[in-house]
Amino acid sequence: MDLAPADDFQDLFEDAPCGYVITDPDGRIVRVNATFSGWIGFAAEGLLGKRLRDLLTVPGRIFYETNFAPLLRLQGGFEEVALDVSTAGGGKLPVLVNARERRDAAGAVLAIRIVFVRAGDRRSYERDLLGREAVATQSLRDEKATSELREQFIAVLGHDLRNPLASIVGAARLLRRELQSDKALRVLDLMEASVDRMAGLIDDVMDFARGRLGSGIGLNRTVGHLEPVLRQVVAELEAGQPSRVIVSDFDVPAPISFDAGRIAQLMSNLVGNALTYGDPKQPVRLHASTTPGRLELWVANAGEPIPEAAMERLFQPFFRGDVRPSQQGLGLGLHIASEIAKAHGGVLQVRSDRTETRFTFTMPIA
Amino acid sequence: MSAIDRNNVRVKGAGERAMVFAHGFGCDQNMWRHVAPAFEATFRTVLFDNVGAGNSDLGAYDPGKYASLSGYAEDLIEIIRELDMSGTVLVGHSVSAMIGILASLRAPELFSALVLVGPSPRYIDDGDYHGGFTADQIEELLEFLAENPMAWSQAMAPAIIGNPDRPELGEELTESFCRTDPAIALGFARATFTSDNRDDLPKVTTRTLILQCSDDIIAPEAVGRYVHDHIAHSELVLLQATGHCPNLSAPAEVISAVQAFV
Repeated sequence: MDLAPADDFQDLFEDAPCGYVITDPDGRIVRVNATFSGWIGFAAEGLLGKRLRDLLTVPGRIFYETNFAPLLRLQGGFEEVALDVSTAGGGKLPVLVNARERRDAAGAVLAIRIVFVRAGDRRSYERDLLGREAVATQSLRDEKATSELREQFIAVLGHDLRNPLASIVGAARLLRRELQSDKALRVLDLMEASVDRMAGLIDDVMDFARGRLGSGIGLNRTVGHLEPVLRQVVAELEAGQPSRVIVSDFDVPAPISFDAGRIAQLMSNLVGNALTYGDPKQPVRLHASTTPGRLELWVANAGEPIPEAAMERLFQPFFRGDVRPSQQGLGLGLHIASEIAKAHGGVLQVRSDRTETRFTFTMPIA
Repeated sequence: MSAIDRNNVRVKGAGERAMVFAHGFGCDQNMWRHVAPAFEATFRTVLFDNVGAGNSDLGAYDPGKYASLSGYAEDLIEIIRELDMSGTVLVGHSVSAMIGILASLRAPELFSALVLVGPSPRYIDDGDYHGGFTADQIEELLEFLAENPMAWSQAMAPAIIGNPDRPELGEELTESFCRTDPAIALGFARATFTSDNRDDLPKVTTRTLILQCSDDIIAPEAVGRYVHDHIAHSELVLLQATGHCPNLSAPAEVISAVQAFV
């Protein structure tokens, strides 16, 4: 069917897939299309002479008069304003509204053209999103409160565990001063080793809880030589596993500023891991050196590489790789090592392939 | 932070006396762009944005302070004091008419005259008093604003609408008018539309001009007359201008009424 252009434009206006309203400069409606009057259930003639605000719900009316009437005057139009139109049936029609003034050459307003698009689904979706956001915010807040409580509990527990442990250490010392059978001495050795291990676990838990509770890992930096600290760590670990070979290559001649206890802890965690997870037939290699402004320290071992999937979570607390039952820990070692690195303004990184697994700690030095 | 930075204060013009323009709920100092320049030859003109509107410092928003209009009145007093002005003419639109009254009661020396454009001491009906809205309707407004963040996104960053007919807006169109933070605007709406300052009107001693629009649903004519009846030294002028914002729709009429008064 061929339409004359004028008919076609008439149809485009009347039956457009959106509502059209044209008002005079004073805001009184002079023309309404069939789509819009159909939507709201008022005959077009009945709308003539009314103002846009008369079609809105009361909140929409206040909102329009205070926010959008000024905007229309200031910038000659507005777009995508969300409003509710009152319908003949007493209902609300959520719409998005665009409006634009038409002005003459002298700048006087000739008419205001307003377009309405239905936005019911979109509005209910937005309302739904808002509700969900409120729920999510609340549950996040609850979760945070709970986890803070849990971490405080861990901190207190860790602290309280130290007292009975100290009693056991004292008791073992007391027994050692008296004459004991060989068997009893062996049991005392085992007891003391267990106490050391447990004290280490408690320290880890306390460090973790402190880190989580916002105080972070505190540093007690002094200026001194790094090499003796590293050698001490190596000596302790070698004594524990005499069958293993640790190859050290240290070259840090100048004193640097660091927390000796913490760096020893970091190294001990890294070397301990290397001994645990590395190929027992191959040596664990340690390296420490400086370039201007930077300290580099690494620990490498041969053996199975760390699986790709595990790499991302390696430094997260309570993460444990596939370990044998005899190697149970809390999964805090690497997390704490990386926190110690951060506290020194440095970073702990890992690279792992068929050749070797290498943890590298770098930090800035003055 | 100084009040001058906090409220994005702009001072122009020359003259012995100062005229301070205060915008209402829903816009910013741009509300006065067609009125204020007319007074620059004879007055120092002061424009500012309420905290939460325009280019004010959003970080300065304190929900407790701004829960009532007196928080905004405090700011107005601070601005005028920081500018080391006194005896100013305050031109307050909409809710800022009441904010101006509160400021003048607290620091009368700062104001020599008040021009109230579309004032309302209370928007909610109360017995014989007809504010224009029921309490339920105002509650509905606040719910609508809270539920409808998309309604605001436009106000925050209005799309640039090409308008070759109005080159004077030129560059400024890249800046948006009437920016507002939705959460703050909701607080301001609550402070505005639940306020009741009827008891403050008889206390006003500063000479006062009331500009009342025709066909204003926010501040109907009966409300303007109520304000006139309750402020002793007041003058009421009924404008031809319709709607709630004669400062934009009929600036010339507003200018001449203010000039005749001052």
